Amino acid sequence: MQLSHPRLAWSLTRREAAWAYAFIAPWLIGFVVFTVGPMIASLYFSFTDYNIVDTPRWIGAANFVNLFRDELFWRSLGITLKYAAFVLPLGLVISYLVAVLLNQKVPGVNLWRTVYFLPSVVAGVAVALLWSRIFDPKFGILNPFLALFGIKGPGWLSDPDWAIPALVIMSLWSVGGSIIIYLAGLQGVPTDLYDAAKVDGATTWQRFRHVTLPMTTPVIFYNLVLGLIGTFQFFTEVYVLTGGAGGPARSTLFYNLYLYQNAFKYFHMGYASTMAWVLFTIVLGLTLLIFRSSDIWVYYEGQLKGR
Amino acid sequence: MDTVATPVTAVPARTRPFSDWLTGLQGQALLLKSITTLVIAAGAAVIMVPLLFMLATSVKDRDQLRQSPPPLIPMAAVTVEVNGEQEPLYRVTMDGQTREMALIKNRPQGKGLFVDPANPDQTYELVIAEQTQIKRLEIHWENYAEALSQMKFNSLLLNTLVVTFAGMAGMLFSCSLVAYGFSRFRAPWINVLFLVLLSTIMLPGQVRLIPTYVFFNKLGWVDTLLPLIVPQFFANAYDVFLLRQFFMSIPLELDDAAKIDGASPLQVLMYVILPQARPALVTVAIFHFLYAWNDFYEPLIYLHSPQNWTLAVGLQTFNALYAVNTHYIMAASVVMILPPIILYFLAQRIFTQGVVFSGVKG
Amino acid sequence: MTHKSIRLTLSLLTLGGLLLAACGGGATPTQAPPPTQPPAEQPTQPPAAGEKVKVVIFVGMGTGTDPDQIDAQTQLAEKFNSAHDQIEIEFLIVPHEEYATRYLAMLSGGNAPQLVGPNGVQSVAEFFDTWEDITPYIQAENYDLSDFYGPAVTLNEYPDKNTGLPLGLYPSFIFYNKDLFDAAGLDYPTHDFDDTSWTMDKLREDAMKLTLDKNGKNAAEADFDPENIVQFGYDDSWDGMRGTLTMWDAPTIGRPVSDDYKTALVNSPEWLYGLQWLSDGIWEDHFVGSLAVQQARDAVGVDPFGPGTTAMFYSHTWFMAEGLKELSFEADIAPLPFNQKGHRIARIDADNFTIPKDAQHKQEAWEVMKWLASPEIIVEVCQIYGCIPARKSVQEQYLETLKQDYPGIDYDVIFTSIDYLDDPNNEAFVPEWSKIDEALNNSLSLVYTGDEKDAKKVLDGANAEVQKVLDEYWAAHP
Repeated sequence: MQLSHPRLAWSLTRREAAWAYAFIAPWLIGFVVFTVGPMIASLYFSFTDYNIVDTPRWIGAANFVNLFRDELFWRSLGITLKYAAFVLPLGLVISYLVAVLLNQKVPGVNLWRTVYFLPSVVAGVAVALLWSRIFDPKFGILNPFLALFGIKGPGWLSDPDWAIPALVIMSLWSVGGSIIIYLAGLQGVPTDLYDAAKVDGATTWQRFRHVTLPMTTPVIFYNLVLGLIGTFQFFTEVYVLTGGAGGPARSTLFYNLYLYQNAFKYFHMGYASTMAWVLFTIVLGLTLLIFRSSDIWVYYEGQLKGR
Repeated sequence: MDTVATPVTAVPARTRPFSDWLTGLQGQALLLKSITTLVIAAGAAVIMVPLLFMLATSVKDRDQLRQSPPPLIPMAAVTVEVNGEQEPLYRVTMDGQTREMALIKNRPQGKGLFVDPANPDQTYELVIAEQTQIKRLEIHWENYAEALSQMKFNSLLLNTLVVTFAGMAGMLFSCSLVAYGFSRFRAPWINVLFLVLLSTIMLPGQVRLIPTYVFFNKLGWVDTLLPLIVPQFFANAYDVFLLRQFFMSIPLELDDAAKIDGASPLQVLMYVILPQARPALVTVAIFHFLYAWNDFYEPLIYLHSPQNWTLAVGLQTFNALYAVNTHYIMAASVVMILPPIILYFLAQRIFTQGVVFSGVKG
Repeated sequence: MTHKSIRLTLSLLTLGGLLLAACGGGATPTQAPPPTQPPAEQPTQPPAAGEKVKVVIFVGMGTGTDPDQIDAQTQLAEKFNSAHDQIEIEFLIVPHEEYATRYLAMLSGGNAPQLVGPNGVQSVAEFFDTWEDITPYIQAENYDLSDFYGPAVTLNEYPDKNTGLPLGLYPSFIFYNKDLFDAAGLDYPTHDFDDTSWTMDKLREDAMKLTLDKNGKNAAEADFDPENIVQFGYDDSWDGMRGTLTMWDAPTIGRPVSDDYKTALVNSPEWLYGLQWLSDGIWEDHFVGSLAVQQARDAVGVDPFGPGTTAMFYSHTWFMAEGLKELSFEADIAPLPFNQKGHRIARIDADNFTIPKDAQHKQEAWEVMKWLASPEIIVEVCQIYGCIPARKSVQEQYLETLKQDYPGIDYDVIFTSIDYLDDPNNEAFVPEWSKIDEALNNSLSLVYTGDEKDAKKVLDGANAEVQKVLDEYWAAHP
């Protein structure tokens, strides 16, 4: 709507902004009441020596200095990055392809979708127990299966070199959540686009490449960002599988696990807060990069001008 | 054109060989569909394997759990009473005959003492590895009753349902509003605010746990379900983000049409956006259900009295320090899977209706 | 369903949910307080006349969270509450994974529990600075400690405080599988505590003969197949490095740190000997299972002994509740052998209840502590937790319950093993307890995975790490 009168235009923008803030208000209020306080508290703790029981003692940047000198900090960061480097791309691609398959009208599709969704429904402690059973080098499932093809399986969770691959496999089993999101996105692609493409004589692949993919970039973006945030904070399953120790031989000492140990086992809450904020900075940086890039590859049908 | 009636035994206009049909469009579609189904089924089979384990483990008793290697199908040794003790039964080959005998004692060099249960005084020393132990299928369905009652399932179920559905309502309500605000309006700093929203999940929760607990304690909300429900009414990053992505995929034309008709932003949300975002709303609802259903991290901190516990917390008691009751854990976990799965299965109907959106010109 | 009706239903559900939740005891929300500092000392409030003082007992640091135990503790609480009109107790069950987070959260939030336990020496050490010193309470009423086993009392005594009345002991001994010994044609381990032929060398000898591959060959034979072991002779996998090596008689026994807590003593000659003994046992002589073997058991939640695949398992009385129940073979217990110096050091776990400094109503907490440790009640409490009561006068009574629960074993072994406990204890206090323990256990895992089989390399590395932790600690706390 174009208006020539400058003052009316100004108050229209004002009104739009007011509506925006009104709708966002529930989150803003909750943020102020529930979230910002503890966040600032933890930022404060990162500059202190704080064992939770006594009053925090200000020590300036000492935690940060010690952190960068801490061999376990680098080790845990490395382990987390290695894990993310596999799980993120593999998870993204696999769950997208599976979602595309599950979006077809095949017999029993509702049943199949439920099966793929099942793993993400199982409680964490049960998942950990199940997979430690599967990865058992002698009597599990995986190694005897590999033996059928003449492959001698490694020690998986009992071998420091193979523990992370084992965790990657375990994580990929539960991509059901991402599949659902992709399904929702795929369902949201207007069918008339496909019709138009068919009329133009597009092949299946071309329809996928030029209709499906672009129209689902918003959910790809979502899964990418949240996948990044999630893999960097990978914790629960490792904790249950290794009894909180990050073994064997610290080969599964993920960043968040090391943070947890510092916070609640060693009672170095100040140091743990430092770790938290360093991770925050890294993840925020990467997320900003992804956001920047999104202008190039993410397509929103209902994008507002001037955003 | 010709009004003369054609004979009843009409001949088909065209026939073609099957091979032609197969390579034609229809054949291609069927082939594609078959391959697709096969791939899906294969993947599903792989996915099901751990879950079948879960089922098998849930119906074993302690003895069966102890078997090494643990079998996939719950088999148990058949025993027979000899001299007041239960002894395992074997199928024994002796003097060319096959009989059933009980193993009553192990001897060195891999041998054992076997007796005929009917005639226990006569012992035979044989190599154990050369005999076959008799096993039979033994399924302990009572594990379920036992696990659920020990866990106090019924009261925990109520708590979990309250937390889950109350939270879901709050989440749907608040996240729709907030996501709408982030997707359909221009305002100064709104992009920054969106990043702030996202950044709230970038900080690991462990370091906020103590200050948050202290806060809720001051409110007197510790040992109630409130810390798990009330914050849901103030939106959360995950669901707002997803809804925002969906809202931004909805074309603006209907919005504008409604605005021209004089609709307020709230009415646009309720009558234009939300109906079109049904798959997304169902998705976030399911996800919230799942999260609240299985979450034990927060409940463990805030819920002190066992009568306030949720299912996820109750499950942890089977994972005690000196006694890991794997069969009960699995049984309880199987039961806990059912409600989310049923919900998901039912929600499929809303899902698959999809969006047949033919644009404004319809 | 139309959108409007969905909304309506959900709103009603929400209201209902909130109402239900509010019934759980919520208060009306007040103004959000500013970012927090831990609260100052809590002033003790005397209870209003006629009002019962509530003593909350925090359970979860050690045992006590099994569903059976939860029920038993509820009954115990009823027993107390019906007999006392000024104090009432409530057991607060905390799933074991969360004990640290919850305890610290409660402390920070100002609602510390009145009693915590059962505490092993480990959790006493972990939260050492938070416990009240009960020496004044003992002295104020001249409480008689003579009925407790001497060692049990000293385990609770630290330079600057006494952490609690002794509750229970968990002596350690060898659980052995009689059927497997029969099958190997070996004599059972001796039950005579003075028989000096029962050494760790003899144990090794026997264990090798009790380790069988799938063809029935034992580990002492030439054609033994280490890739396909179906039965192991010895296992001590349910403890960490300090517990495993305490038996080898280092100068500070189970505490690899000097008396002034400033020097790491991890790579003592005794520990070197012991760790190499273990490493050889796994990788040379093959009578001890590696990490892969342990994980296979953990995956199905079974213990090393119950499946009948381990001939000798070194553990404590707390194992009996799981390990001696529903066995498919005959089992008994024997003393730990003598070590390389001709001494016997059988590690012990000890439980007590402690009182947090920051709790309110500490006097009432002390009353409850006394009640739990009293001769009348201690046997019942110990039956719940699986410990030997720390009182000499109830030994006979407890023996009767043992005979009922675990018929056919040599009960003398249990009680006599107490005399050989390790002091300093394998869980005894060191600064940065958890960090040091994690470093030590990580080093132990190097041996169990075979990453490093040379004990000297492992322990030198561990020693350097521990020394670093100690140095950092003392630099920050001069």
